Amino acid sequence: MMGRTIFIDPGRCIGCQACVSACRECDSHRGKSMIHLDYSDPGQSVASLPTVCMHCEDPVAPCAEVCPADAILVTADGVVQQADTTRCIGCANCVNACPFGVPKIDLQAKLQMKCNLCYDRTAYGLAPMCATVCPTGALFYGTLEELQAERPGVQVADSFAFGDVVVSTGVAMVVPADKVQWPVPGGLPVVEVNGVDVR
Amino acid sequence: MSEPTEVRAAAPPRPPGAPEPAPPAGRSVAARATLAGTAVSLLLITAIVLGSRLLRDFDSALLPYAVATVFLAFGVAYRYTVWVSAPGARRLFKKGFGSFFSAANFKKAPTALPRMITTYLGFQKFLGARSRARWAAHQLIFWGCLLAAAITFPLTWGWFTFTSGSGSGPGYEMRIWGIKVLGFNSLNILGWLMFHGLDIAAVLVIPGASYFLWRRMKDRGAITGQRFAYDLLPLICLIVISVTGLLLTFSSIFLHGGGYEFLAILHMVSVVFTLIYIPFGKFFHIVQRPAAVGMQLFKYTARQDEQVFACKRCGEPIDTTPYVENLRGTMRDLRLDFNAFVEYCPRCKRILRGNAYLTHVKKGFK
Amino acid sequence: MTATDPAKPAPLPLDPAIAPPGTRNFRDAGGLPADRWHADQNGETLVPTHCCFCGVQCGMYLRVDHGGKVFGVEPRNHDINRMRMCPKGLNAYQQVNHPDRLTAPLMRRSRDEEFREASWDEALDFTVSEIRRIQSTYGNDAFGLLGGASLFSEKTYLVGKFARVALKTRHVDYNGRLCMVSAAGANKLAFGIDRAGNPFSDILLTDCLLIAGSNIGECFPVMTQYLWGARDRGATLIVIDPRETAIARTADIHVALRPGTDSAFFNSLLHVIVAEGLTDESYLAAHATGWDEVKKTVADYPPARAAEICGIPAEQITQVARVFATAGNAMAWHARGIEHHSQGVENCLTVINLCTATGNLGRPGAGYGTITGQGNGQGGREHGQKSDLLPGGRSITNPEHRAQICRIWGIEESELPGAGTSMMEMVWQMQRKEIRGLIGICNNPFVSLPNYAVVKAGYDTAEFHAQFDFFLSETAANAHVVFPVTTWAEDEGVMANAEARVVKHNKAQEPPAGVRTDTWVLCELARRLGAGHHFDFPGSREVFEELRIASAGTVNDYYGITYDRLDATGGIAWPCPTTDHPGTPRLFEDGRTYHPDGKIHMQVVEWHPPMDAYTEEFPLSLTTGRTVAHFLSGNQTRRLGALVEQTPRPWVEVHPCHGFHNGDPVRVITRRGNEVFPALVTEAIRPDTVFIPYHWPVPTAANALTIDALDPRSKIPEYKVCAARIESAERVDDVPAPPMPPGHQAYKEAQASRTDPLPPTSPQGRGTAERS
Repeated sequence: MMGRTIFIDPGRCIGCQACVSACRECDSHRGKSMIHLDYSDPGQSVASLPTVCMHCEDPVAPCAEVCPADAILVTADGVVQQADTTRCIGCANCVNACPFGVPKIDLQAKLQMKCNLCYDRTAYGLAPMCATVCPTGALFYGTLEELQAERPGVQVADSFAFGDVVVSTGVAMVVPADKVQWPVPGGLPVVEVNGVDVR
Repeated sequence: MSEPTEVRAAAPPRPPGAPEPAPPAGRSVAARATLAGTAVSLLLITAIVLGSRLLRDFDSALLPYAVATVFLAFGVAYRYTVWVSAPGARRLFKKGFGSFFSAANFKKAPTALPRMITTYLGFQKFLGARSRARWAAHQLIFWGCLLAAAITFPLTWGWFTFTSGSGSGPGYEMRIWGIKVLGFNSLNILGWLMFHGLDIAAVLVIPGASYFLWRRMKDRGAITGQRFAYDLLPLICLIVISVTGLLLTFSSIFLHGGGYEFLAILHMVSVVFTLIYIPFGKFFHIVQRPAAVGMQLFKYTARQDEQVFACKRCGEPIDTTPYVENLRGTMRDLRLDFNAFVEYCPRCKRILRGNAYLTHVKKGFK
Repeated sequence: MTATDPAKPAPLPLDPAIAPPGTRNFRDAGGLPADRWHADQNGETLVPTHCCFCGVQCGMYLRVDHGGKVFGVEPRNHDINRMRMCPKGLNAYQQVNHPDRLTAPLMRRSRDEEFREASWDEALDFTVSEIRRIQSTYGNDAFGLLGGASLFSEKTYLVGKFARVALKTRHVDYNGRLCMVSAAGANKLAFGIDRAGNPFSDILLTDCLLIAGSNIGECFPVMTQYLWGARDRGATLIVIDPRETAIARTADIHVALRPGTDSAFFNSLLHVIVAEGLTDESYLAAHATGWDEVKKTVADYPPARAAEICGIPAEQITQVARVFATAGNAMAWHARGIEHHSQGVENCLTVINLCTATGNLGRPGAGYGTITGQGNGQGGREHGQKSDLLPGGRSITNPEHRAQICRIWGIEESELPGAGTSMMEMVWQMQRKEIRGLIGICNNPFVSLPNYAVVKAGYDTAEFHAQFDFFLSETAANAHVVFPVTTWAEDEGVMANAEARVVKHNKAQEPPAGVRTDTWVLCELARRLGAGHHFDFPGSREVFEELRIASAGTVNDYYGITYDRLDATGGIAWPCPTTDHPGTPRLFEDGRTYHPDGKIHMQVVEWHPPMDAYTEEFPLSLTTGRTVAHFLSGNQTRRLGALVEQTPRPWVEVHPCHGFHNGDPVRVITRRGNEVFPALVTEAIRPDTVFIPYHWPVPTAANALTIDALDPRSKIPEYKVCAARIESAERVDDVPAPPMPPGHQAYKEAQASRTDPLPPTSPQGRGTAERS
C-alpha cells in the first residue's frame, strides 16, 4: 500500500515551525508556505500538529473531485498536485471540501495552493523540504521499513474515521501498536461540546 | 517523475458493492456531448454559408481553415458539455448563469458584471498578483490572439471581404456580410493597419510566448510536473504560427514571394493543428475561464445580501451561505459523505483532529 | 462606531472574496518582497557552512546565485544535525542581503545629536581620538571593551588581544558572561577543563537522560533529534523545568520545581542515592576528592525538606533518584535554567556531583554536558575575551601563563594588564564613572542585561561609546559611533559548538559596499593607536594561525586544528595537540580529569533562596527565557519577516488560577519596574510562576523587570528568578520598531505583524492559522 511517503507523528512534534519556514524555501512556491502548524491543545499543553496534504486515496482526492475546473491533477504515484495555474478559478471548493483542512487560496491571484509532497524535490530523489529539516522526525519521509528501522516497533495507520466515513490516505500517521487496526479518529463530526450532545 | 494525469483517469475502481455514480438524467454524457458538438458545428456551417452570401464571398483558398474551425466548434462544444456535466462544474454553471441572467442582480449592481469582465477577462488583474512578468507576457499573447482571431475567423468564413476598384491606393472597401462598413486608402496608416493586423498580432504573441517558453526551461517551479504536450506544445504552436505568418509578409515584401507557397502551407498546417488542439489541451482554459466570472458573480450576489456563513466552532467566516450550500450539494452528488464538515473552517478541522489524536491515539511520545 | 452614514454603506468591492482563517494567508514571504524571490534560473553555488545562531551549530548550505549573492538555504547532511534545521536557521540567510543592513559608519559627537553617515576614516579617527583623550585623562583602565560569543573564535581572540595590547586596559569582558560562565566556573572547579564531557551522539547511547533547565525544543530544536533518538532506543527522559515545555510535555518524568531551588533538588537526589546505597563507591574512591564532605552535606536534604523547598512531591525526588542511579548509562545536560542564578556555579556543581557519585562520566552514553546558548558560546570563552582569561584558557593572574602569552604577543609582562571585571560590573563602573569610554562588539546589553534602568544609566554616563554591528541594535542606537560590520556569511572563521567541536564557517559572499570585517576594524583601530605591528592580520586565517600557537600546550589546545583539517573532517573537538591528533570528542575516558591530580574535585553546595526576596507584595516568581523564533536580544531575528510573523511580540505566561483570559493585558510588577503584556493562559506553568521571553526591548523588555544580582563566583546575573506580582491592566505595551539610522525605516513587510493584535497562542508562537 504505502511506498515512499510522509509519516506524521504529532507526539514528537515540538511546534517549532521549522517545517513552515522550510516549505517557503521550496523552489516551486518560494515565499509561500503550504504547511499548517496548529497548537491543538491550547491552554492545556504546548502540543502541536503539523498538517501536510494527506494525498487521499479513497475517496481519491475529494479536493479534485469537487473542483469545477478540473484543476487538481493526481499523478500515477498518488500525489495530489496543487491546482493547475491555467485552470484554477479560485472558487475555494477544495479549501472547504477537504476533510483535513489542507488547501490554501491566494485570493488576489485567484489560485489555490497546497502541499504537493515537494514534487520538485521528490521527483529528483530528495525528501520534501519539511521532512528533511524537521528537527524531531515528527515529519518523516521514507518507506515504512526505513521508519521502523529508525524507530523500532512503531506502527502506522493510513486511514481516518470521520463518523461512519473512512478516508484512506497516501500519507500516514504514527500510532501505538495497540491502535494500529483502527482508523485514526478524524475529530469530526463533533458529537459533544462541554458535555452537551450537539448531533 | 511520473506526469500528472486527470484525477478521474487515476481513480481506482470503486470497491465492489459501492453504487455506481448515478448517470445524468436521460442520455449518457458522451451522447449529449456529441449531440451538442454536432449542433454547434451545423450552426457554424449554416452561419458560414449565410454570412458569405451563399459562398459568394467565400475564399476557397481558405477552405482548410474554415474546415478546421468547424472541427474546433465541434470539439469545444463536445468538451464543454462533458465538462459541465461533472457535478462541481454543473452546479457552478447553473449558479453562474443564474446570476448572469438575473434581472434582480442587474438592477442592484448594473456595472458589476461589465467591470468583472473587464478586470478579470480583459486585463486579467489576478495574473498580476501571481507574477508581473507573467501577467505582461500573458497580456501580449491574449491581445495578440484576440486580434488575430477577430481578423482571421470572419475572413476564413467569408464574412469579411475587401474590395477595391483601383487595385491599390484609395477606394478600398471593407464589407461584412456584403454590407460596406468602411472605405479606406490602402496606402495610409489605417490601410497599413488593416493589412498588417496579423503581423501586429504576431509581434505581440512572439515575445509573450517566448518569455513563457524561456521560463519553462529555467524556472524550477514551472518545470515541476511540466508536460510537453500540455505545457510546451501550445507555446511552440503559437510561436510557429506567428513566425510563419510574419515570414509570409517578409516573403511577399522582400523576396517577391520567394518561398511563399511553402511558408503558406506550413502556416496553414500549424494553424489547423492548433485550432483542432484547442479543446483538448491547455488552450481549453480560453473556453473555461469565463466560468470564473460566473463564480465571482455568484459570490458577489450573496455578499450583497450579506449572507456569510460562519464556522460552527470558531465563528470565523468561511464563505457565502449559498456557496456553502452549493458545495455541500456538489459533495452529495459525488457521494462524499462528509459534506457536513464544510460547516467547520479548515483550522477547526485540524484542531479537532489534533485533539482527537491526543485523546484517543496517544497523548505523548509513546 | 464609525461616522459613516448608515444610509450609504460602503460599496462592496468587486471581488469581495472571503476565505476561512489560515487558508488565505501568504504574508509570510520571509522578510523579502515576494517579487524578489526567484526560483533558481541560472544555476547556483552551494557554500557549505554552519548556522550563525545557537550552540548546536547545524551545518547548512547557503545558496549563492551567479551574481555572488546569498539567496537561499539548503539542508546539509552534516553529522551534527543530519539535514535538520530550525526556523531560525532556515531564515538566517535573509540577514545577509537585508535592506536594514548598516552600510556606512554612523557618528555623532554627543547623544543629543542625530546620527550622520561618516567616512571610515572620520569614524576611526574620532574613535581613536576619544580613546586617547579618555585614557590620557583618566588612565588606561577608564576605557572598556565588551565582546560577544557570536563572533568567530578568531575575532574573540582579537578582542582580548586588542584590549590588552592596543588599549592596554584590564576592562574587557563579553556577553558570554550572561550565558555560559556558571557552567564554565563549575567545570573548571570540578574537572579543570571547561567544556561538555560528551558529544551529542552519546545521547543516543544513554539509558537515562536528565535535562535540567533547558527548553531544548525551543532553544536547541535540532538537538531534540538526539533526545527522541535516545527514547526510540528505550532511554528514560527526565526534564527539570518549572514550565511544561515541548520536551517536558512528553517526558517520562517532568519535575516542575519552583525557580531557584535547583541545588536543593539535586542535593536531595544525592541524599536518596546515598540512603539507598546506589552510589558507585569504587568510582568515587578512584576518581574523586571531596566526596565525604558532599555526602555529609546532602544528608541535610531529605526528600521531605527538598519537596518543601522545591514545591514538588517528595516521591518524585525519590523516583528520579532511583531511575537515574539505577540506569546502566545515565547522562545529565543542563543549560541556562540552572545557570542563570545567584548560585549558578553551585547548581552546576550539584549536577556534576550527581554524575560523579553514580559513576556516570567518560563512557559512551554516560556523562555530563552543558548546552551553550550562543553559536560560539564555547569558543568565545576560551581565547581571552573574558576578563580573567588569556588565550588557551590561561589565567591572567597566573604569572607563568602571563609570561607565555607575553612571549607570543611580543610584549613586556609589565605591559599586560591584570584581571578586569564582569560585564554587569562594568556597567556599574560606567555609572560610577570609573569606566568612561566603551567599545561594544557583537552584543546588545540594552536588551540582554538585567535591570534595564541601571544599564541605560550606565551607558548614558559613558563619555564615549562605539558599537560594532550589522543591524542597528538598541544599544548601538545609543552610541556615538557605529561601525557597520559583516554578517557571518561574509567572512570565514571557526566556532566551537556545545560539544567543543570546532567547526568552520565559510565565506559565501562579498560584504556589501561600505561594510568591513570586525577583524579589519580592530586591526585598523590598533594601527591608529600605534599597535599596528601586533595586529598585522589580513584576515581570519592569519589570526587563526596565531590562535593555534597561542593555545598550544594548554588545556584548550587548538594547535592540531587547521582550516584544511576542518574542511576535510567537518569539525574537530579540542583538545587537539597535533595535526595528526583526531581530537577529543569524549572527555575523561581514562578516568582522569585535567586537574594536576587527575581527580574530580567534588564541591559542597548549600542551597540558599534567590536574591530577590518574596514578600506579600511580590509573591510570584518571574522567570525569563527564549522562544523558538527569536535569538538572544532579537536584533537579528526581529527583522526577519517569517520569524516576526511566527512570534511578533512577548507575552506573559500565567496559570489559569490567576483568573485571566488569553490576550488580557496583564501588568507584571517587580521591584525594578512594571510592564504590560498580553496573557498566555496555560496549565503548562506553575501557579506560583510567571514567564516572559526576553528578546524584545523596552517597553516590552523582560529585562526591565529582572534583577541585577550576580553569582559571586561566575558573576552571571540571576535572570531566571525574581519576585513579582501581576495585576490586570488597560492595554498591552506595544513592541517598538527595530532601530534604524535617521531617514530609514525598518523593512516594512518584515514588520507587518509586529503590532498585530493577535498575540502568540502557544510559547512556540502563533499557529499558521492564528495570524491576521
